[in-house]
Amino acid sequence: MSSPSSWIRNLTPITESLLAGVVGLVIGAFIMLAFGYNPLAAYRSLFVGSVGSVYSWAELFANATPLILTALTFAIAMRGGLFNIGAEGQLYMGALAAVSVSLLHLPAPFNWIVAILAAMVAGMIWSLPVALLKLGRGVHEVISTIMFNWIAHFFAFYLIANVLTDPQRGERTIAVSESARLTRVFPDATLSSGLFISLVTVGVIFFLLWRTSTGFEIRSVGYNPHASHYAGISIRKQVLRVFLIGGAIAGLAGAIVVMGRPPYYAVLSGLPQLVNLGFDGIGVAMIGRNHPIGIVFAAIFFGGLMTGGRIMQFDPGVPFELVRVIQGVIILALAIPELRRLFFLARERLAGRK
Amino acid sequence: MKTRSDSGPVLDKGDVLLEARGLSKGFPGVWEHLILDQLDFDVRSGEVHTLLGENGAGKTVIANILSGYYEKTEGEIRVKGKLVHFRSPREGLAHGIAMVHQELMLVPAFTVAENIMVGLDAPLFSYGIAGVEKRIQRLVERYGLQVDPKARVEDLSAGQQQRVEILKVLFHEPEVLLLDEPTSLLTPSEADQLFVVLRAMADDGKGIVFISHKMREVFAVSDRVTVLKLGKTQGTCQIAETNEDELTRRTFGETVPDYMERPEVAHEELALNTIEMVPSGLEKKPNSQGISLKIRCGEIMGLAGVSGNGQTELIEAVTGLVPPASGEVWILNADMTGRTPKEFIERGVAHIPERRREIGIVEQMHVAENVVLKDYRKTPFSKNTVLRHQQISSHAEKIVEKFNALVPDLWQTECRILSGGNIQRLILGRETWRKPPVIIASHPTEGLDAKAIRHTWELFLALRAEGSAVLLVSEDLDEIMSLSDRIAVMFEGKIMGIVDGKGADREILGHWMAGGTASAA
Repeated sequence: MSSPSSWIRNLTPITESLLAGVVGLVIGAFIMLAFGYNPLAAYRSLFVGSVGSVYSWAELFANATPLILTALTFAIAMRGGLFNIGAEGQLYMGALAAVSVSLLHLPAPFNWIVAILAAMVAGMIWSLPVALLKLGRGVHEVISTIMFNWIAHFFAFYLIANVLTDPQRGERTIAVSESARLTRVFPDATLSSGLFISLVTVGVIFFLLWRTSTGFEIRSVGYNPHASHYAGISIRKQVLRVFLIGGAIAGLAGAIVVMGRPPYYAVLSGLPQLVNLGFDGIGVAMIGRNHPIGIVFAAIFFGGLMTGGRIMQFDPGVPFELVRVIQGVIILALAIPELRRLFFLARERLAGRK
Repeated sequence: MKTRSDSGPVLDKGDVLLEARGLSKGFPGVWEHLILDQLDFDVRSGEVHTLLGENGAGKTVIANILSGYYEKTEGEIRVKGKLVHFRSPREGLAHGIAMVHQELMLVPAFTVAENIMVGLDAPLFSYGIAGVEKRIQRLVERYGLQVDPKARVEDLSAGQQQRVEILKVLFHEPEVLLLDEPTSLLTPSEADQLFVVLRAMADDGKGIVFISHKMREVFAVSDRVTVLKLGKTQGTCQIAETNEDELTRRTFGETVPDYMERPEVAHEELALNTIEMVPSGLEKKPNSQGISLKIRCGEIMGLAGVSGNGQTELIEAVTGLVPPASGEVWILNADMTGRTPKEFIERGVAHIPERRREIGIVEQMHVAENVVLKDYRKTPFSKNTVLRHQQISSHAEKIVEKFNALVPDLWQTECRILSGGNIQRLILGRETWRKPPVIIASHPTEGLDAKAIRHTWELFLALRAEGSAVLLVSEDLDEIMSLSDRIAVMFEGKIMGIVDGKGADREILGHWMAGGTASAA
């Protein structure tokens, strides 16, 4: 009965995630075979491309950085029993807020902090209506977050083309002022100090969930709202909390992408550097079992697939879509243990257990 | 579906249709005793055989086993003398055994005929709706069920919907019909109409098993009655050879519980006071009444009654879980009407809930976390919202030790793997360690062994001596009579009467519990 080690116990599904990864790669290999590619060569270049050099490691971590954050957004909501798939839209808003701060021409030591805070607030503002709709009208968060993702999508197009437009280049916004850009860790790679901001956030969320009364309440409501109500925990308050915290983290992700990824430091029309980061975060969170530590490893894995997947296109010529297929299969494979549990539960029910 | 002719098979009255010998059923891990214990039961053609007993006596479980929904643990079942083993309700139906469940399982937007078609398996397309409607009409006429096959279910009253449920199984031409508390949703006059239908079906040669805990109904419809108590049969007899007093005694037990002597604790202050309070959920019942219940500090008030008579709603109102529909709830001279559960907890209301796994704990959280489920936010267990695991650990350890809970590890063990009894020990510890002024205890000793029951009773008396007020809700009359200073009986949302606990007359309590209005001598 010693010190708490709940996080270790929460990581025990680690084997399930690893197995799902293997299943994904194996099925991916069969698909490549079916389409006439050489899976061994493909995986070799995937592997070399993602972890073969210091440069590729740096790219891998650069790709993982925003995924860690968007996965945290999803995970904290899942811990609280909610299905928040709104990171995508909150991320756009965060990126645009961070860019717009450079209009203010703030002095150097503060402007990056202000930009990050503005992005977090923008993410929170974007998640607030979702929480209020749920509390006030019982609107399911899946519906409202999808809708708000699209609103954000087209609102971003509008802002890029009309409000935050770069006077020289109409297809992009103004750039983040140079003093507000996040430091690059390696001269040529896109990895920035944003990685450390992500990792600090991981630590903060870990602490919040397992070492504070706030996290206690979130987890309790997520597991059992009835017992939580009985214990005097306000369920409505947790809904608000989970969405606001999630929104802030997703907004932060947007800021880090736009402030830390060369060469443009601006939001491009069509949002190429932002699109899907929010949705990929859902997959990362699921592979990481909604645990902050698990999410870091899952994000590294996803980051590797993205980095190596590009190389895979050049050399053996396997289309990037196949990397997407592998990601999809892994996520499906992750559902297998859950299906097994449901199956046994159903059998127990039939055998007459209440 | 086997199609039999509509006139049904020819049955001789009095033939044993369905017979169970030595039927046992255990739910390992959930109950520490057998839910059915070596039970013998049969039903004959042409009779209505009533299963009478309190909730938890095992009535529903028998019906579920006989119809194939549950598997038995031991014993044998025979249909017309032939040994059978049902693995599913479908197999039961194939042998002519059908069950009508307590809850309605209908699609509201469908018509009566469409709802009945949902249950038919193979000939979904060959069986035209018109044919189904015609067959329903014939059944309606034969048994006087009075339902329009073309009516939408959502437009029907509860009584009519009940008839649809019966039609649904009648469509399969069963020989034995098991009805689990079919009157729970019905008004008394609808119930009387149902009894006419049951009689018509029995006269047609079917065997009817009718489950109830209401004495009036037992005498209104039965030919024979079997009394169940805690999974054991208390005997079967012809209804003509018994009377209400005898059945009441058999249902609720005969032994005289030993009233636990205790010193007088004279407090005038009211700990719990409800003023003309109608709990939410009861306000729609016909002639609902405000409940005015007053419990003084240092007093144990027993609330007896068959469950489902408004106890749950009353508890929800006095613990703040659901605000009452009308009236007021006062705790220690403070009007708490409409306050949150948290405010009730802070005012000193402890609650030992009935559904302990669903409400009393968070199953996926660890033992230590569950022990501080209501205290994590207070010092010393957290400081500036940061949890202090050392303090939580040592507190949880104390509770586990004091209540003899069998717990592998405070921080590794999720509560869901604990047995019901151990969960109850943790809840008892969590709810009583602060010596709260008001304790709402619902079935506090269910699932505990004799020694732990004794400990719990002594704990309640000790808390009482220190000025706590206890509202003890239980179906176990022995427990109520041993512990209570006063006993109130609840029936259909109303308090039927209140008597002193010492020397309380079991028969009067039993009458009140069954809805009788006999007055205390």
